[in-house]
Amino acid sequence: MQFLLAEGARIGISLIGVIGLVSINALFLIWMERKVSAHIQLRPGPMEVGFHGALQTIADALKLIGKELITPEDADKLIYLLAPIVMFLPVLVSFIVIPFSPTLLIRDLNVGILLIFAFSTMAVLAILMAGWSSNNKYSLLGAIRSVAQTIAYEIPLLITAMSVIIMVGSLKLTDIVAYQATVWNVLFQPLAFILFIICGTAETNRAPFDIPEAESELVAGFHTEYSGMRFAIFFLAEYTNMFIVSAVATVLFLGGWRGPILPPLVWFLLKVYAIIFLMMWFRWTFPRLRFDQLITLGWKILIPLSLANLILTALAIKIF
Amino acid sequence: MTSPIIIPSLEAILGADKLTELDYAATGCHVRAEAVPEQMPAVAAAMLEQKFYLASLTALDLVESLELVYHFASFYQLCRLVVHAPLAKGAAAPTISHVYPGADWFEREVFEMFGITFAGHPNLKNLILPEDADFHPLLKDFVASS
Amino acid sequence: MMLEKGIEEKTFYLNLGPQHPATHGVLRVVLEMDGEFIANSEPIIGYGHRAHEKMAELRTYQQYLPNMGRVDYLHALAYNQCYCMAVEKLTGIQVPERAEFIRVITSELNRISSHLLWFGAYLLDLGAFTPFLYCFDDREHILDLLDRITGSRLTYCFYRFGGVPVDVDEEFIAGTRAFISRLRSRWNDYDTLVTKNVIFINRTRDVGIMTPEQALKYGVTGPNLRGSGIPYDIRKSEPFSVYPLFDFEIPLGERGDVLDRYVVRLQEMEQSLRIIEQALDKLPEGPIMAEKVPKRLKPPEGEVYTAVETARGEFGIYLVSKGDVKPYRLKLRVPCFSNLSVMPELFQDVMVADAVAILGSLDLVIPDIDR
Repeated sequence: MQFLLAEGARIGISLIGVIGLVSINALFLIWMERKVSAHIQLRPGPMEVGFHGALQTIADALKLIGKELITPEDADKLIYLLAPIVMFLPVLVSFIVIPFSPTLLIRDLNVGILLIFAFSTMAVLAILMAGWSSNNKYSLLGAIRSVAQTIAYEIPLLITAMSVIIMVGSLKLTDIVAYQATVWNVLFQPLAFILFIICGTAETNRAPFDIPEAESELVAGFHTEYSGMRFAIFFLAEYTNMFIVSAVATVLFLGGWRGPILPPLVWFLLKVYAIIFLMMWFRWTFPRLRFDQLITLGWKILIPLSLANLILTALAIKIF
Repeated sequence: MTSPIIIPSLEAILGADKLTELDYAATGCHVRAEAVPEQMPAVAAAMLEQKFYLASLTALDLVESLELVYHFASFYQLCRLVVHAPLAKGAAAPTISHVYPGADWFEREVFEMFGITFAGHPNLKNLILPEDADFHPLLKDFVASS
Repeated sequence: MMLEKGIEEKTFYLNLGPQHPATHGVLRVVLEMDGEFIANSEPIIGYGHRAHEKMAELRTYQQYLPNMGRVDYLHALAYNQCYCMAVEKLTGIQVPERAEFIRVITSELNRISSHLLWFGAYLLDLGAFTPFLYCFDDREHILDLLDRITGSRLTYCFYRFGGVPVDVDEEFIAGTRAFISRLRSRWNDYDTLVTKNVIFINRTRDVGIMTPEQALKYGVTGPNLRGSGIPYDIRKSEPFSVYPLFDFEIPLGERGDVLDRYVVRLQEMEQSLRIIEQALDKLPEGPIMAEKVPKRLKPPEGEVYTAVETARGEFGIYLVSKGDVKPYRLKLRVPCFSNLSVMPELFQDVMVADAVAILGSLDLVIPDIDR
């Protein structure tokens, strides 16, 4: 009985913590994206609401809450309503295993990395649901593109993660961090790190890989018909996905929470936001790839490279 | 500055008396030709052979009758040619859109603005006006409401 | 039966527009799609029709001047110039040389601003947001300069029959010279950010190839034509105003693809800078308006065709006068009309993403087509 109570309290607190983190992270990231893009584009960005526009996202969120929720007349209503939820829930699950610091993590599962990848794949299902049910050709085209893209980029993403995993010999995220006590994995696996960042950018549908929502072609892609908070949930999921991909990259390649002087949590977040900054930098610099070029890049370049990297890693481990 | 090349081929189609040399400085064209609409496909084919492009195709409402006006010009030499083709009201003119695909839209515009039909045009429907517009705004008897 | 029919239908229709981020105006393109590929396409225009040609028949010559700023609002001064030239030819008004110089300077500045706007908007089509703000920063300087002497920032109505109403001052000349050196220092940024970008080159190279034959048959003019390698620029081949006094080149493409049209436009901006520079150096003293331009303009009976090279190609005015205070007929030969009519040929069997790249590369101003 006491165990159940303790476990219940733990789950409750974790859930509140995760939701709090997700919201604050999204609020911060959206503000950061605006500021980063603004400074790249030689303009100040939001300045009015709060200090340097810090409260701008909150104002926007309030506006979105107040907006009418539109459901297209011929939409497949059930799936249409479910899609944002299916998009968002797996994102929450991934937080269970992310080690923010030696003490701050919810469950140290021994299949941690597998769990994250398994659940992040569900996002494509949500995109397909949203695109199909909206009864809009732009949405459908966006959804179809998204499926093809996710398949093409999930494979190299997993294979590059595999290179690290066979080095460490564990799927547990804390083990992976512990392995990097002296040297970060990025020094052993520079190619894998680059591939992981490229695939991670594609996985989160960010420019230059934002084909599923290519604004100038498909208006807004799979979420064309969504408005108000439903749209906001897709938006929230995008930024949370960015956080997760960057967190996984930090754990796999950048030594997780490790670092001198500063507390572990600060180091972890610093690394995560540095990777996110890099992804934002991509977005505001590059034009968008064409759909077929994107698939070609995935299948013909990234997958062979990641496979070669995996084989080399395996050989190196066998030899040394 | 009149090009010596275009004159023979046009003279063969239209007859020498239909071609007049113009003062370029005052009119912006070098040669003026008079034709009947039925000769226009042949004229257009001859112009295309000389590598002239169709700069403009429009019509004039002369109240008693109509007149089609074709402007040709060349990418390679300075020569502008204007062809006038008078047309009775209600009569149809043959299309030149099979020679110059670019004439397709010009003819559709003349069709809706002046009510001139082009025989043989593949897709003669309103271009700029609404699909169901049954008036011809550039005719002189069309009174603008303001 | 429904199911059977559904299986047999291989294609579906997609409406690109009338409201779509890539059409830059109210243009609608009906696409018959075979998956991501376009099987057939038909542009539908006319949403912005304002009857400019009919308006001409209802107004006096002077009253029609402001209309010329509103047909192609991005290179309005070239339209101003063409209309003024048409009326001046018809009435025999001689324009003083200083006025012609001012016309060339302002019109070329306007051409650069038009190309800059195209440059930014085109990269927006390709998914790059940042260059848009860079070139708008540059464009702002032109707008400020032109604002100083013309009084407006977009829909200019500056030229008059017989000259220009306002003379340029030292501040304008100094500002223009400063702008020239500023823009020249930016080419390097544009090159490294965009022109040398691998993704950009992959998106544009060998896409939307327009052959010289297609250009000829559809009457395509302007940078689109020169991208296909034909050196036809009315400023050179049919010299008007004082363009023969200046030394400039016509940039040409080789393959006629989207990248060539892009490069031609970028190089044209540099050539325009050269023209402005020379015009500022050679700017003669003298009057800016012809003497004795009648207030009540009644050109003699006759017809005239004038053409100018705008940022988008040949703009021609066919003006017929019956000796009245109003034009009898005024036909606007607009470049985008012909440039758009070739589009279905370029759209054949390309992907939607390429279609957006091609449509953008034609540099269409939709109100220009609709008139």
